[in-house]
Parts: sequence; C-alpha cells; structure tokens
Amino acid sequence: MSDERHAAAGELLAVRDGEGSAWAKTHVESCAACGAELYRLEQVRAQLRALPAFVPPRDRWAVVAERAKRERRQRRLSGAVGLAAAAALGGLLLVAVQGTRPDALEAQTALRSAMARSQAMEQVLKGVDPDARALGGEAAGVVVDLQRRVEAIDEWLGDPSQWGNDPERQAQLWNERAGLLSALVDVHTTHVAYAGL
Amino acid sequence: MADTIPLAEAHSLVARARAGDFDALEHVYRAYERSVYTLARRLTKTPEDAEDVLQETFLEVCRSLGKWRGEGSLWGWIRQVAASKALMRYRREKVRATEVLSDDAAVGACEDVPLRLDLEVALERLPERSRAVVWLHDVEGLTHEEIAELMGMTASFSKSQLARAHQKLRVWLGEEGAGP
Repeated sequence: MSDERHAAAGELLAVRDGEGSAWAKTHVESCAACGAELYRLEQVRAQLRALPAFVPPRDRWAVVAERAKRERRQRRLSGAVGLAAAAALGGLLLVAVQGTRPDALEAQTALRSAMARSQAMEQVLKGVDPDARALGGEAAGVVVDLQRRVEAIDEWLGDPSQWGNDPERQAQLWNERAGLLSALVDVHTTHVAYAGL
Repeated sequence: MADTIPLAEAHSLVARARAGDFDALEHVYRAYERSVYTLARRLTKTPEDAEDVLQETFLEVCRSLGKWRGEGSLWGWIRQVAASKALMRYRREKVRATEVLSDDAAVGACEDVPLRLDLEVALERLPERSRAVVWLHDVEGLTHEEIAELMGMTASFSKSQLARAHQKLRVWLGEEGAGP
C-alpha cells in the first residue's frame, strides 16, 4: 500500500454512496484492507434493506377513518355552530336592550354561562392533545361514543329549528356539550397518566 | 422500500380522496401501513410508539393528501410525514443530553466483550438517533441534507452519526478484525 493512512469510516461511506473524495476513491482501489471494508459496508447496507418488514399488531384504519371523518364534520359544522352562537348572542343583546322579565334575564345569563363553559372545556381538551396517543380497547370506544354525542349536539346547535328562540333549551344543549367535553378530557388525561407520560 | 402504488394510480386515488372518498384513503392506508409501521419501529423506542406514529401519520395523510402535488412518489411524501411524526416524538422527550452519555457508555461496554450479534439485534442496540440516521440513509435512501432537515441538525452531524453507528455495528457484528 502506497498511501500513508487508511480511509476513515466516513470516507468509505462517502465512497459507498458515490460521493467520496478523489483520494478515497483512488485509495480503495489500491488498498486491500479499505477495499474489503468498503465491500463490508455495502453488504451491511444490503442486509439492512433485506430485513423483514414489521406487521402492525392492530388494524388502525377504523380509528384513523373515524377521526378523519369527525374532523371533516367538525370543520363543516364549526361554521354553522359559530353562526348559531353569534345569532344567540345577538338575540341576547337585543333582548337586553329592549328590557325583559327577570326570569328571561336569568335564562340569558344561564345561556352565556353554558356557552362559556363549553368553550373553556374545548380549550382544555385541545391542551391534552387527544390525538397524541393511540387509545385502545374500552377507552377508544368511550371516546368514539362521546365524540359522536358531541357531534350530534353540534348538529342541533347548528340548526336553529331545533331550539327556536328558547334560551333555556340552548343553554341545556351547551351544558350537555360542556359535560361531554369534560368527560373526553377525563378519558384522555386518565389514559396519559396510565401510560406514564 | 418499493413504491407499491404506481404514479398514475396514486394521482387517481388522491383525486378521489380530495373529493371525500374514504375508500381511496383506505386503499392508500392498506398499501403503506406496513412500510410506515416498519419505518416507525426503526425510529421509535417501542412498538406502542410505532403504533402511535402509524395512526398519526395516516390521520395527517387524511388531512393533507391534497397537498401532494405529484412531483415525487406518493410513498416519498408519506415517508416524510411518518419520519417527521416519529422524530417529533423523539424531540419531545428531551433526553438528548443523557443519551449522548449513554451512547458512549454503550460503546465502551461492548468493546470490552467480544460480541457477534444478529444484525437485527445490533440495529436495535444502537441509540435511537443513530439508528434513525442509519435507517433513513441506508435503507430509505434519504440524503444527509434531508435527514438534517428532518432532525433539525446539520448534514455533517448526520454523516458523523452514520460513521459512528457503522463502527459500532462492525464491533457488535463481530467483524472488528476485518477492516483496515
């Protein structure tokens, strides 16, 4: 061997990947040890590529599809629910300006409180990052059930014919929504705690 | 990894998926679930983490498949999503500093004892970051620049990780005396 040194691992890997320096390319042609090491690195790469694939232990498509469909529905509904909330608030303001009976004012206050509670729980739910871990077994079933119930309420809230001008009925729907979101937070935080995160 | 869906079919599936066809999305899932799970197993610590990555990846695919413009292969795009999800999980753990120490400790321990491990076992024994570089570069064919971008490191860091990992594999595979 005429060179003063052998090629380093990084230099040989670069030659293997077709990016080596002119010196390294020439060196491996004349140095038996480095030529053999280059061949070994090529063999390791081939063996790595030949390792068998892993098979997922569970079919996750049902969960993925359910969540993706829910997200699409929520994107569509969020606009409608937002409009409903705006309409409800607009109605409250109008009634407040015009002056109403004490029981009506009480219902309006209850509606505002229910909406605020629901929105607060929504923020908490976003904070626990429910999509961060794959839920399995019973927990996944509970989550799917709770999400469907939230979606059903969202549909009602998005359809004024369901609640008309009745602030008590609206407050009831918003309270139910907040309760379901709270239950979802419980399921996810329990699962995260159980997973040791 | 071979691209299991031909490009023309991929374009057709993506068009259907954009229109809300979940059968098309399921077709994509079935075609790539093993590849994504295998990649995730190589880039994460546990089978459970890999399952999470599988789920997160395809949820992202369902959300964002419309962003694939067909410039590269569909598998290339999905692989980027999966690698990003897996490496994000690693970054979240914030254990880099301690892992650097454990890397060196692992090498030292193994140099004391002659070993001849199976390649699968040796690969598993590599620190998570080194294993990710080896897998992404040698198996998935990503460039050091692409790996650097995914990992938030430099290309030279990726190169040095690859070289160190191969030196460890060489020892663990019992081939220490074979090289220069």
